[in-house]
Amino acid sequence: MPRVRAGDRRFGGFRQPVAIAFGLLFLLPLWFLVAGSFREPGTVPPRTPELFPRPVSTESYGDAFALVDLGRYLLNSLAVAALTVPPAVLVASWAGFALLLLAGRARLVLLAVSFAALMIPVTALLVPRFTLYRWLGLTDTWVPLVAPALLGLSPFYVLLFYWSFRRLPPELFEAARLEDARPFVMWRRLAMPLVRPVTVAVALLAFIASWGNFLDPLVYLFDPDLYTLPLGLRSLAVLDRTNYPVLLAAAVAATAPVVLAFAVAQRFFLHEDRGAGWLGR
Amino acid sequence: MSVSVVSVEKRFGDVVALAGVTLEAREGELLVVVGPSGCGKSTLLRCVAGLETVDAGTVRIRGRDVTGIRPAARNVSMVFQSYALFPHLTVGANVGFGLVVRETPKEEVRRRVAAAVELIGIGHLVDRRPYQLSGGERQRVALARALVREPDAYLLDEPLSNLDAGTRVEMRTELRRLHREVGATMIHVTHDQVEALTLADRVAVMHAGAVRQVGTPDEVYGRPADRTVAAFLGTPRMNFLTVGDARPFCAVPDGAEAGVRPEHVRLDGEVPARVDLVEVAGGDAYVHLSGGLVARVAADVRPVEGEDVGLGIRREDVHLFDLETGRRVEP
Repeated sequence: MPRVRAGDRRFGGFRQPVAIAFGLLFLLPLWFLVAGSFREPGTVPPRTPELFPRPVSTESYGDAFALVDLGRYLLNSLAVAALTVPPAVLVASWAGFALLLLAGRARLVLLAVSFAALMIPVTALLVPRFTLYRWLGLTDTWVPLVAPALLGLSPFYVLLFYWSFRRLPPELFEAARLEDARPFVMWRRLAMPLVRPVTVAVALLAFIASWGNFLDPLVYLFDPDLYTLPLGLRSLAVLDRTNYPVLLAAAVAATAPVVLAFAVAQRFFLHEDRGAGWLGR
Repeated sequence: MSVSVVSVEKRFGDVVALAGVTLEAREGELLVVVGPSGCGKSTLLRCVAGLETVDAGTVRIRGRDVTGIRPAARNVSMVFQSYALFPHLTVGANVGFGLVVRETPKEEVRRRVAAAVELIGIGHLVDRRPYQLSGGERQRVALARALVREPDAYLLDEPLSNLDAGTRVEMRTELRRLHREVGATMIHVTHDQVEALTLADRVAVMHAGAVRQVGTPDEVYGRPADRTVAAFLGTPRMNFLTVGDARPFCAVPDGAEAGVRPEHVRLDGEVPARVDLVEVAGGDAYVHLSGGLVARVAADVRPVEGEDVGLGIRREDVHLFDLETGRRVEP
């Protein structure tokens, strides 16, 4: 029988409608996006937001894929994300675990450095990064898009892993040390399986960051064959106002993989309740 | 000689956790280290395991100096207070974890895990996960994990403290039986004096980072080396009497105080006293008397509160302690 907390009982009747109201509020832009994409292209745009387009047309989708090479950009974005997400998760989790294993002072210094790195705006690094990649002859390749993954993509992901590992009872790792488990074995056999929801969350965040990355492809890519989806969307934004359903159709095509990824990943967040003693406490 | 620490010191900042501890667990012995919370007993165990580095002194296991070497190379197994079972692994995988990590052949892992779980009596639980087990079952899994490697010594850090009273008694017996069957050196740390006295071959009493006495349960209880040991062991704790208070019962030399166990305070003597309070604890009753003395008598012969009784203490039941040093004074 599911356990009911006192707070749930007290606010049970009140919470649900509020949650639904908030859910609808966030769903509304998504609805306008989808509804707008089914509007007939070339017609006069409506003066007020339109809940249901009349007539319903899928012509915009055909136009979007015909006007720009969306299929290629979609595949390019998928390829870049596939090259970015696994190393980002791997490196961020290694770095987070290394922070956990470090002795007091060294750990504090590295935590401070990570926090400091988190504060630096990405745009501040744009010029030095561009200079570096050009000097290395790596502009107009996907390397500048993928390379940050080798640093965990963001210090936030490293810290997220570190905080998750820190929540695990230290005796688990001490028991493993007594059994001759080296750091890599502890990371692989103990730490990672116990922070699976965090791993999925970081993977999802890294995927979204890579998928929606507009600035880096804009700066580093010149060859249209290498373009990713955000650049393709940008080229559709120059269309006439009457053709905005085409842009929305492309936006739907761009958003769908993210929604799908979240739908697949959410079951890892909402994992079963294993009750007291799950972590041996 | 199996496990020994010599003049081991350990500090955490300004706090002295171990102040030159010297202790030895003999080959095949079950040594119980007992003391109040914060006395350094768990730190001592962690220093033996190698989970803490020592600031000074040496740790020896089977005569080998292991002070500077990593935990796994010391070949000891440890059972943690929280059991430290790996929650995502089955009982079988938990027990076999160390063997798998050491790349033991699969067939041997299977054989040794089966032998360990059978010995502990958890053969039927191998496919379950820790969160599906009761406290006692988890404790048994932790023991099986410690056993499977056949280490040189077992280190048990308050392994029974998270169990309910009934399971604790059951597991105490189980531990004793296991020690007899395995015959290995075990160091068991606890703050529970009953556990220490019932389980141990020898007991080491610790206080404030130092070992105050080492001896058989009979020795530490019957002939406590100092006032601290005398006060720590025994429920209710020992009565302490000044020279004046003790005069009706026996002569106490100047500069000393007398200690009398509650079970040695008789209620059929000559010295008048009034019963202030009676606490019944199952078969025993703790009788609080005027003047601050406490007597332990069988519950079925206990006096009633307010009753006048006559106290008696035999001379041979009185322990004498130096008032300044607290050390035992031989009569």
